[in-house]
Amino acid sequence: MIASLMRLRIFVGKYRGRLIGGISAFALARVLEALVPLLLMVGIDRLHAGQSGLAAPALGLVAVVLARFVVVSFARMAVRRAGLLVAFDLRQKLYAHLQSMGPQFFGRYTIGDMMTRAVVDIGLIQRLISHGTILAVVLAFASIVGFAFMVSLSPVLTLLVFPPLPLVFFYAWKASRRAGMASRAVQERLSGLGALTQENLSGIRTIQAMTQEHNEIERFSGANQAYADAFYRQSRIHSEMSAIMPTLAAVCSIAILGYGGNLVLEGEMTVGEFTAFFLYVNMVAQPFRVAGFIVNLFQRAAVASDRLFEVFERDAEIEDAPRGAAPAQIRGDIAIRGLTFTYEGAEKPALQDIELAIARGESIAIMGRVGAGKTTLLKQLVRILDTPSGTAFIDGVDVRDYPLAQLRSQVAMVPQDPFLFGEPLRDNLTYDDPSRGIEPIWQAAEAADFKETVAAMPKRMDTIVGERGVTLSGGQKQRATLARGLIRHAPVLILDDCFSSVDTETETRILAELKRVRRGQTTVLVSHRVATARHADRILVMEDGAIVERGTHEALLAAGGAYAELERIQREGADAADYAAAQATA
Amino acid sequence: MATAHPVPAKRDYSLFEAELSGAVMNFALLKRLLRWMRPYRATFFLSAGLILIASILQILLPIVISMVGIDYVIGGERDTPAPDLGMIALTDWLAASLDISLLAAACCLYAALQLGWAVTVHAHRMTLVASVIKGLRDLRRDLFAHLETRPYSFYDGVAVGRVMTRVTNDVEALYELLRGLGALVGEFAPFLVALAIMFSVSAELTLILLAALPLLAMATFYFRRATRTLFRQVRLTLSALNQNMQENLAGLQVVHLSRREDYNHKRYTAINERNLGAETRSMRLETAYGAFTDSMASMAIGAVLWFGGGAVIQEQITLGGMVLFTQFISMLFHPIVVLGEQFNVLFRAMASGERIFQALDWDERIHEPEHPAHLPARLRGAVEFRGLTFGYDPAAPVLHDVSLTIAPGEKLAIVGPTGSGKSTLVKLLGRFYDFEDGRIFLDGMDLNRIESRELRRRIGVVLQDFHIFSGTVHDNIALGNPSIDRARATAAARAVNAHDFVSSLPRGDETKLSERGQNLSQGQRQLLAFARVLAADPEILVLDEATASIDTETELLIQDALRKLAAGRTSIIIAHRLQTIQEADRVVVLDGGRVVEVGSHEELLAARGLYHTLHEKQFQEQRPEAG
Repeated sequence: MIASLMRLRIFVGKYRGRLIGGISAFALARVLEALVPLLLMVGIDRLHAGQSGLAAPALGLVAVVLARFVVVSFARMAVRRAGLLVAFDLRQKLYAHLQSMGPQFFGRYTIGDMMTRAVVDIGLIQRLISHGTILAVVLAFASIVGFAFMVSLSPVLTLLVFPPLPLVFFYAWKASRRAGMASRAVQERLSGLGALTQENLSGIRTIQAMTQEHNEIERFSGANQAYADAFYRQSRIHSEMSAIMPTLAAVCSIAILGYGGNLVLEGEMTVGEFTAFFLYVNMVAQPFRVAGFIVNLFQRAAVASDRLFEVFERDAEIEDAPRGAAPAQIRGDIAIRGLTFTYEGAEKPALQDIELAIARGESIAIMGRVGAGKTTLLKQLVRILDTPSGTAFIDGVDVRDYPLAQLRSQVAMVPQDPFLFGEPLRDNLTYDDPSRGIEPIWQAAEAADFKETVAAMPKRMDTIVGERGVTLSGGQKQRATLARGLIRHAPVLILDDCFSSVDTETETRILAELKRVRRGQTTVLVSHRVATARHADRILVMEDGAIVERGTHEALLAAGGAYAELERIQREGADAADYAAAQATA
Repeated sequence: MATAHPVPAKRDYSLFEAELSGAVMNFALLKRLLRWMRPYRATFFLSAGLILIASILQILLPIVISMVGIDYVIGGERDTPAPDLGMIALTDWLAASLDISLLAAACCLYAALQLGWAVTVHAHRMTLVASVIKGLRDLRRDLFAHLETRPYSFYDGVAVGRVMTRVTNDVEALYELLRGLGALVGEFAPFLVALAIMFSVSAELTLILLAALPLLAMATFYFRRATRTLFRQVRLTLSALNQNMQENLAGLQVVHLSRREDYNHKRYTAINERNLGAETRSMRLETAYGAFTDSMASMAIGAVLWFGGGAVIQEQITLGGMVLFTQFISMLFHPIVVLGEQFNVLFRAMASGERIFQALDWDERIHEPEHPAHLPARLRGAVEFRGLTFGYDPAAPVLHDVSLTIAPGEKLAIVGPTGSGKSTLVKLLGRFYDFEDGRIFLDGMDLNRIESRELRRRIGVVLQDFHIFSGTVHDNIALGNPSIDRARATAAARAVNAHDFVSSLPRGDETKLSERGQNLSQGQRQLLAFARVLAADPEILVLDEATASIDTETELLIQDALRKLAAGRTSIIIAHRLQTIQEADRVVVLDGGRVVEVGSHEELLAARGLYHTLHEKQFQEQRPEAG
């Protein structure tokens, strides 16, 4: 636990001034607090002896309370601010770090997991600093000061109240762990309930069409009951804690009442001392009650720290090259030499010994089944995957020698999944360079046959899209992301199956437009339609990570291989033999 | 025979979207909420009884220390002006009957009361939670069931996210209130009992203390008002932070491809800084308030000493009485602090309650026949549309006077440009919307005389965005229908070419599918939806064919599956694939909500009408060598 927390010192060390100041102020506050029972004792004894002169203790009390107010406020603010600052820094670091992660990392961790680390784990560390340190100091000082006064009043009585305190501590520690588990269970079931609701409402049309409403309501009732049960359990643990804790502490009160009362009766102790002692015990018992929570707080923060450093310690997935290592302007000649690529943890390579040369200005279409390696090949060109050295070259320079920023700005890739951010369309379309004016944005939209669609929207380019905005159809999203790629006029453009949801009529228009705007520049695209592929200068057919056919449309047709087969099926429709073949390979 | 159901006027869905601002106290709302608690009222009243007992026990504890311990046993004063509530007599009796010292008796009494309190207060909390939780559980289920059965038109009008938060966040706010409610009751019941006793001890001293209460209450009120805006800022910036990060990670590939890392980090930093500012401001206020209430309790003790001191000298109050006062002080101040803590929760709960009831009051529905006719055991599958005119907005019809007869077992393809009314036509066949202008007949039976649920069980509808349920593959095929056993589900999967990929999954048909079937490819999802329909074996198949292109191999499997699915049943297919159209018995061409052409693929091509044009545009590229 200590080792895990020590890793945080680079983050916490920056604010050690604040923390030390806050903790020192707390020590002072505790001394001031300890004066309260002392002043009360003086007052009560004077009263009991029938003396006057109560002004001094009463005014002293007011002064002490005021001083304590100031000191405590200062201390808490200092420490809590340190907690906030550490959380701020941790978030900055996590965000920056996650940005350098890639597919390998997100193959292992989910986004939801990372969000939990960003929200819950950083929150735990913040709470440890803001509250844990305060509580720990409170505990230490209250115990030391309280015990010191108690011992000075009556050593025997002090010994008597000591035994129940570890019990209180131990119970609080155990119980707070149970409470933590219970609250996690509540959270989990709540998010389960949320997921079920979300899933249900977004699939409501299918559910009603298949008359599944009652089944789903049943399913929901189950999750709903599970949540209520978890909530009940959590309430029970909290209720037990708040009933048992004071009862354990009451053992101290009874001990004082019995033994201390006896001392007073026998004249060995004044009533004032007795009362002061009583108040000191409360002062000591209270922090012992929270001590259990503190230990728990430290434990959970230690786990949180480990979880964060697990991310921090992963190196950037793609190593950047220094500036100036490659020519500043890419022209667009591509060469792949003996490229074999295997995903981490996979048995079979996804790409096997690929040899390919694409001349500047050429257009290439890649066809092939799902999992044939098309996307994997394209990603090598922009180093979204960690391209092995000496295998992929642009203008004769290894892609690994280009600074990432340059490579990705001059080789534009439109990925398969048409992802749009929850921002206005305008910002989505010019995502790579927010400073562009509106004119090129409309031009790109036009080239992607998206202009009319946008123009028909009430807020046009200011329409907010994505999860929290207007829902676009699959084809609209694809055209938007295509525009995002076209706006860059990159020397190399890579289109990864991004017409699949666009209807054939629109696609034809886009392809014609592409031909015009991409003249003299390199374009590589993936498609399942022969009608799309045939417009390319050359066509590649991939299978199981290898290029099995390559050539022009006419040459491939003449060769009578896989491409010719696809062409026939798409042209004439399949016959019985095709279905049988498809079923056999499925 | 008036079988048409009236189409309601267009609703204002923005009402559902509008932010509702709840009043802090809305008694009508509370009354409605209590209706859900009614079945559990016995437990609730038991809980109320228990808190009363627990409060009295809680009050007796300091009395035993001060009046019995300090005044009577140690001080030897029996006749104090403060009431001891019979505790002195009880101690006497205990000491006499157990033959122990008075001090020992007081200790025993204290221990017994403490244990009694612990048990009753726990029992009180648990009965309270049990009764309220059941009510809230029922409320949430009723709300979900209500939303689950709202018609398509409702979901066309509102955003799913908005509807979802009613079930999750809004009901959750009521659960939050329950957490606070338990604390409040537990604080206020002893508060009132303590107040009554303090009055009888010393009315003067109590009034002095009570003078501090308005001060505390005012401080609390102003503090909460000030923090409400600050807390809102904290919440907003925090959710902006999370949203930004979430989205950045979801679109990380695009971020990388667009080299937006630095720019995005700057934007994140700006939000992070705003959050830090809001957090710091609210933290400062919170800290000052916390220290203030702490100090108030100490100040009150000082006041008791100052004013009470004089009273003791004048023999109006005993030393024990004064210690009692100091003990009661926390009982007086704490409830106000707790109330302050719960203020925002209460406020949120009220607004949530309003939203929940707005959703429950939303009575939009498909009209069902009063005296429904029942379908025969097996339909022949004849469908007739007669003079059907329909619009989602009655003022703007999407279908105009559509008449169409489909013979039993016929395979009909519907084609037409985007927005021609194709999917509206098939949705009306499943009675997902009310219509009154025109009729639809199923085996000669008016569709409006059949209950929608019964009808939908006989018509298998596969929409473009069909839903994959989270659950196993088998669950997704059987859909809770007990008559579909494993063998039948497997047979269906096999028939539609889904069996191969299903058996290649890690646990075969027991494999859990993730939310919305994301661990399947698009083609696999389509095949699974086919298996589902085939297993249910409806007499009529309605299919909106997927538009997206997938690899030819999978495409072949789908086409083959579709042929098997349509065999022997009336099939109405919104077709996007040439192959599907060619295999249909007849093709219907819709344009602008009207049937413009009907005939076989060859006939329509020969007619050189709209179909010919559509065909040229859409499919010429699919057959490059033709023509």
